[in-house]
Amino acid sequence: MNLSGILVVTTPPEIDALIDTLNAMPGLEVHNVDRDSSKLIVVQEAESIHDEIDGLKKIKKLPGIVLADMVYHYFAEDESLMPELPEDLDELTGMPQSVVPEYLND
Amino acid sequence: MEQTRRDFLKTSVAASAAATVGLPVTQAVQAAAMEAEEGWQWDKSVCRFCGTGCGIMVATKNDRIVATKGDPDAPVNRGLNCIKGYFNGKIMYGKDRLTQPLLRMKDGKYAKDGKFTPVTWERAFDEMEKQFKKVYKEMGPHGVAVFGSGQYTIPEGYTMAKLMKAGFRSNNIDPNARHCMASAVVGFIQTFGIDEPSGNYDDIEHTETVITWGANMAECHPVLWARVSDRKMADPKVKIVNLTTCSNQTSDIADSEIVFKPGTDLAIYNYIAREIVKRDAVDHDFVNKHCVFATGPYDIGYGMRGTSKYAFEAEKDTQAKELKITLDKYEAIAQRKKEGQVVEQKNRAKPVKHWQISFDDFKKGVEPYTLDFVAELSKGDVDESLESHKKKLKALADLYAEKGRKVTSFWTMGMNQHYRGSWVNEQAYMVHLLTGKQAKPGDGAFSLTGQPSACGTAREVGTFAHRLPADMVVFNGKHRERSEKIWKLPAKTLNPKVGSHITKILRSLEDGSIKWAWVQVNNPFQASANANHWIKGARAKDNFLVVSDPYPTVSGKVGDLILPTAMIYEKWGLYGNAERRTQGWRQQVNPPGEAMGDVWQGLEFAKRFKLKEVWGEHKIPGLKGKGYENGMLPSVLDEAVKMGYSPEDTLYDVLFATAENKKVAWPHDPAVTKGHGNHIAEKLGDGWFPEKALFDEYRQFTVNFQHDLADFDTYMRDDVRGLKWPVIDGKETQWRFNEKYDPYVKKGMGFEFYGKALKATPTGNLDKPTSKEKKKLAGKAKIFFRPYAAPPEQPDNNYDLWMSTGRVIEHWHTGTMTRRVPELHRAVPTAQIFMHPDDASKRGLKRNDVVWIESRRGKVKSIVETQGRNRPTKGYTFVPFFDESVMINMVALDVTCPMSKEEDFKKCAVKVYKA
Repeated sequence: MNLSGILVVTTPPEIDALIDTLNAMPGLEVHNVDRDSSKLIVVQEAESIHDEIDGLKKIKKLPGIVLADMVYHYFAEDESLMPELPEDLDELTGMPQSVVPEYLND
Repeated sequence: MEQTRRDFLKTSVAASAAATVGLPVTQAVQAAAMEAEEGWQWDKSVCRFCGTGCGIMVATKNDRIVATKGDPDAPVNRGLNCIKGYFNGKIMYGKDRLTQPLLRMKDGKYAKDGKFTPVTWERAFDEMEKQFKKVYKEMGPHGVAVFGSGQYTIPEGYTMAKLMKAGFRSNNIDPNARHCMASAVVGFIQTFGIDEPSGNYDDIEHTETVITWGANMAECHPVLWARVSDRKMADPKVKIVNLTTCSNQTSDIADSEIVFKPGTDLAIYNYIAREIVKRDAVDHDFVNKHCVFATGPYDIGYGMRGTSKYAFEAEKDTQAKELKITLDKYEAIAQRKKEGQVVEQKNRAKPVKHWQISFDDFKKGVEPYTLDFVAELSKGDVDESLESHKKKLKALADLYAEKGRKVTSFWTMGMNQHYRGSWVNEQAYMVHLLTGKQAKPGDGAFSLTGQPSACGTAREVGTFAHRLPADMVVFNGKHRERSEKIWKLPAKTLNPKVGSHITKILRSLEDGSIKWAWVQVNNPFQASANANHWIKGARAKDNFLVVSDPYPTVSGKVGDLILPTAMIYEKWGLYGNAERRTQGWRQQVNPPGEAMGDVWQGLEFAKRFKLKEVWGEHKIPGLKGKGYENGMLPSVLDEAVKMGYSPEDTLYDVLFATAENKKVAWPHDPAVTKGHGNHIAEKLGDGWFPEKALFDEYRQFTVNFQHDLADFDTYMRDDVRGLKWPVIDGKETQWRFNEKYDPYVKKGMGFEFYGKALKATPTGNLDKPTSKEKKKLAGKAKIFFRPYAAPPEQPDNNYDLWMSTGRVIEHWHTGTMTRRVPELHRAVPTAQIFMHPDDASKRGLKRNDVVWIESRRGKVKSIVETQGRNRPTKGYTFVPFFDESVMINMVALDVTCPMSKEEDFKKCAVKVYKA
């Protein structure tokens, strides 16, 4: 489980619609609303931080967004949250693992 | 995980986030948050990555980092983090973290062609020492070198600069920061006589105009860009212009995007200057009182080698331009010469020389830069009409020239990594000084930096081949004398001969004039252009390369000994950011395994040298001057004995663990340490606190010397989130050179550009100095005229595309740290080549095709991206350099600005074809 706290800045006419939109998105909850400054705090829960980054990118693209940025990051002490790099990643690209010529390690 | 725990955590995240950005939370929520964070210890710290210098709060539990958040009290970022900053806590936990020294061995002995084998620290230092002493004996101080860093903490940079310069009497220490901001430094020193910006980030909130030149701030300085966006939203008067060679995210909120042809920024600046003069928008009072005009030679080469001896066959035509060029049509007009004229590069050896000229000469210089001429030369997008480009250029000039409009210009690598980077930096000040829009809140040309302590360590401490602390230089006798006094060295210990800059160290490893090198906090064999040569050099039989790194890197792989190194929050440290802000942090957790901090590595190595081995006489090639007859750096051993040293003393005793420094005890005052450990002091075990002792010693260089820093303990205080130097009577300085804010400005002056360097020059006209007599210009800034010069390598029929390298937001530099965070790696696993869809289809390519990118110097495989965040115009490509499997620096060109020696990573010619 990864949790992030995201600051969202919007404008007064957009704020209510935006709160509804955000709450309807998977993994998102609007926790704090400050109407004076049109600022929201959204908590995002996601499987991986990759999904969190995607989530943030989606928020940034919503109508009525002035600013959306991460403020807080929690990652549990749990080792499973620091998995090894999936091997298929490098295969995906078809790239060699290292540019250092083979002979250097001979 | 139980539901209740999860809810607790979410409440906690929300409460913390709200508090961070100053939103109110209820007491109940706060109480719940406190419960979720039970057992966590929060402490202030600084981000590991770029030069912005954001404050980060770090939470630890059981010697492990469990959470990070933006620091709400940090004036730089006010609680915000960018995506990289968000992962500061994770970069230390990659699975391939190095925890033991590794030496190439065969049959139990060191062997150049051996395999990396784990050894003890003792064995590692034994081999390092043996190899060092062999080279030092054979070649002297100039045969050894250190690749330093703009990511060194201040105590790390100081330790290594002192060990090299005072201990080994070698100036061959140069940081990767050379590749990041050396051109900015030359711009500062030439213009103001002192390094680093006059203004600070608060200029963003004060200004009405933000102009970015070769800086994709949205992606590379996102937190500052958030401040710019806020400013833009708050005031409709605010205008943003993005000048770039490649359409990028910074243009998204800009009022105008100007896409220009690589290198023509030189001409655009002169067009703006010409307009300012023509419209009489010059602030004559400011210019007359505070500025002079100056220029220098044009024929200064391109920072390549002067010989083709080491060049690959295919690169010889580019290399030949180092000595001789033929002026093209535009250069001829821009330099008031004839097209086709052959110009020998006669001033390669003295590119920084310059002389004062009259305002009339300056006007003559900018006269050819009409709108018609500059628009035709600079238009970067073939699909844009000339009229549209002209309109934008004129609107840009309007903004700079408008009386009373506040203007802040920002730039980074587009202007610094430039074959005329120092010139274009000087030109940025040219337009601001002409209009009097400098050193005032909201008004100023502001050079952003890329590394967390490029300013604080590399520049201020002076881990450069020519520098000493506090803007002093090795070739100035008075500066050496002052340094020798503070360091308690015998007179003439310091070597007056400028050492090798980072590209020259690489070239010297290839040609055999340096044979021992130590890489610290950087990855030069991935990060330097034309890398095929340097990898060959690293593997040359006689060379010994030591690499200190937390992770295996390209540099490690081509090295002979790898030392496992502690990372950011595993040690005490201080960084200095781009706005002169020095910030400190405590050790948060212990390093894993046997990994140790760089300060300790330097100190341990120093223990292995006795004065008699290093302070004797040395032959230094090229050394001249009185007291250095026959190029000899004299023995200072007799003088050392007179000062109370013994030839048997070690460099550790004499330079570091001095009687004075040993008084700075570890454990230190609990009010400062707050229960935090210090793995370095504990391992040394002789009772002193090296980071504090060395910082406070270094501070002596700065006080009453225009660079005043506070003491170590002040920076560790909870109520201090960094201070902008000069710090005088405990107060930081917001805007330098401005009487209202800067105590160094003499009363009644209004403004005073008081930097001391280069404050007397010959005088002359646009073409040459006419009088050798030096005219003083104390307290004044220089407005330089610099002409347009064409890039030495441009696309042709064979290599038909421009190629620039750079960053993407998810990754930092060579990816050594960020690629260890699986999520960041997945987000952008490999470096793509960004190109225009038409350029791709013309070559029979489509998105995601695997292609070869080939230049005269080498080729690499990459993947085509035609729809990404970078949207190159036709004829232009962009490749990030973070990925070692797409080592684009094998393709890039090692042209440097001849003045700053900074490489131009932004301009070379390539061809792209299907793999």
